[in-house]
Amino acid sequence: MFEARLTEGAILKKVLDSVKDLVTDANFEADPTEGFKLQAMDSSHVSLVSLKLHADGFAHYRCDRPLTMGMNLANMAKMLKCASNEDAITMKADDAGDVVAFMFESPGQEKISDFELKLMDIDSEHLGIPDTEYAVTIRMPSAEFKRICSDLATIGDTVAISVSKEGVKFSTTGDIGDANVTLRQNSEDDKEKMISIELGEPVNLTFALRYLNSFTKATPLSDQVVIRLSPQLPIVVQYVVVDVGYISYYLAPKIEDDDAM
Amino acid sequence: MGIKGLTALLSENAPGAMREQKFTSYLDRRVAIDASMHIYQFMIAVGRTGEQTLTNEAGEVTSHLQGMLMRTSRMLEAGIKPVYVFDGKPPTMKGGELAKRKDKREEAEAALKAAREAGNQEEVEKLSKRTVRVSKEQSMEVMKLAQLLGIPAFEAPCEAEATCAAMCKAGLVWAVGTEDMDTLTFAAPRVARNLMAPKSAEKPVLEFDYEKTIAGLGLTADQFIDLCILCGCDYTDTIRGVGPKTALKLIKEHGSIEKILEAIDTEKYPPPKDWEFAGARELFKNPEVMDVSGINLSWKAPDEEGLVEFLVKEKQFQEDRVRGVCARIRKARQGAASQNRLESFFGPPKIISSTIGKRKVEETKSGKGSKAGLNKKSKGVSGYKSKKT
Repeated sequence: MFEARLTEGAILKKVLDSVKDLVTDANFEADPTEGFKLQAMDSSHVSLVSLKLHADGFAHYRCDRPLTMGMNLANMAKMLKCASNEDAITMKADDAGDVVAFMFESPGQEKISDFELKLMDIDSEHLGIPDTEYAVTIRMPSAEFKRICSDLATIGDTVAISVSKEGVKFSTTGDIGDANVTLRQNSEDDKEKMISIELGEPVNLTFALRYLNSFTKATPLSDQVVIRLSPQLPIVVQYVVVDVGYISYYLAPKIEDDDAM
Repeated sequence: MGIKGLTALLSENAPGAMREQKFTSYLDRRVAIDASMHIYQFMIAVGRTGEQTLTNEAGEVTSHLQGMLMRTSRMLEAGIKPVYVFDGKPPTMKGGELAKRKDKREEAEAALKAAREAGNQEEVEKLSKRTVRVSKEQSMEVMKLAQLLGIPAFEAPCEAEATCAAMCKAGLVWAVGTEDMDTLTFAAPRVARNLMAPKSAEKPVLEFDYEKTIAGLGLTADQFIDLCILCGCDYTDTIRGVGPKTALKLIKEHGSIEKILEAIDTEKYPPPKDWEFAGARELFKNPEVMDVSGINLSWKAPDEEGLVEFLVKEKQFQEDRVRGVCARIRKARQGAASQNRLESFFGPPKIISSTIGKRKVEETKSGKGSKAGLNKKSKGVSGYKSKKT
């Protein structure tokens, strides 16, 4: 038996919106102690999304034994769209069933909707991501990061992110010309404005903007985005929902050397 | 061609060995392509209307070049890294099969003549496809094309698929791209079909896993080879009245062809005279392959001027088309082809399966699988308007 109630149902809606472009079918895992989580890759195995909603982030959480539930994310999104942003959402599944139930309750309990989504038995591929110390950790307003990614995508296909003592530089080249955006650290405390850069060593890596842009679908989840970089490693873009969970994206860098392929 | 009925047999008895993959999921994967097999397909399918195929002004067929150019660029644009392997000399044991094919071709040629006289267009088209053969020159032309496109190309000492399998075993490539199922009999760890299918066909890549194949069938590697010989391979005949299903049953019961011959009623199921199954088995177990150690694979930018010289001047392809392909490949070298997969940082993935829910894919998959097994002819033309290049 699995049962989890999220008072702020909008979080689940936003979580789904932030993964459904990247992945079509995925296995959600419900764990008795850890909570509700998912790891999935896009079809070309270039990017990965890992999300987790902590067990104690839910208003009510019960999971008797670990369950892995395969869902079609587009179909799940269709159902969650029917929930209002103010609704509380409860997910339920039997240990031997073949559906997951979603219950939406309006704040005043005057409307209760029940939806059942058919589960799929699928095989999904999981990567073991090692715990690494990253050379650079950037914290910045998530809206700012979204803006930069979408702006640069109108000029070029890839972005070079270089971090030095000067700050973070995002640059791209396209047929019509070049673009550079530089951000410097500030001393704001407000998460909607704060830019902080922890620099171990300078990093310069190139990424496909298409993927970064789809990561920014998670912007509504958090005011702040945390970006981690190390030479020769995938970038990590993380959105933390305080007390509830997080969604992290990984993207493999482009090969720098043109002759290396 | 290939192993008779193996795909259908696998989809029924070892469905876990087959997986549908998206074309895009082959990004950054090295694939050894059995080029000779594909050339033959292109000659049959690409740009054909009735008896007419693509030719240049001199009347030389160019279907193989057209097919190779388009399908190769499709792979390169998706970031796939192909290696082309061409057939060398056929193994002597294939003589029987080759003679049979020649007979069939001659038969078809005679019938074609009759159909032409009778003015039966449908028959003419059908029969003219059967008269197709690939000359050494055509094979060399495709090799030249591959080199101009910057793709590594090799001539195998013997059968191309055997060398492809050896490359895959050595870890030089991720999978072997072919439609010929006997590549699996050569124990290639991973065989991918439909990689060279046209984009318009929208076929998913069908991936076969060797380990899962023999595990799924419950056979040893040697028994799997015997099973393939019993099903029908290119090298020798089969026992009359024994099809794939019976073959699997017999192998499971008796363990080898020798034991089967002792056990079955040879009156009812007569084995071929002087049956050389042991020779065929040896060919599958120890085929003559290229020495793949120390090969360093690299993919270069296309030689645009060289391609124009070859395809436009010699073969009368449209110049803007050839240059367009070059531009797309160059762009892909900056884009998809310069992208790493996450596995190259985090190691291979492990598979997690759902614990609840219905496995609905199983049924549709086996349905599709057996259909794919029966429908051996590639429908390669739908995307192309017949047009002189």
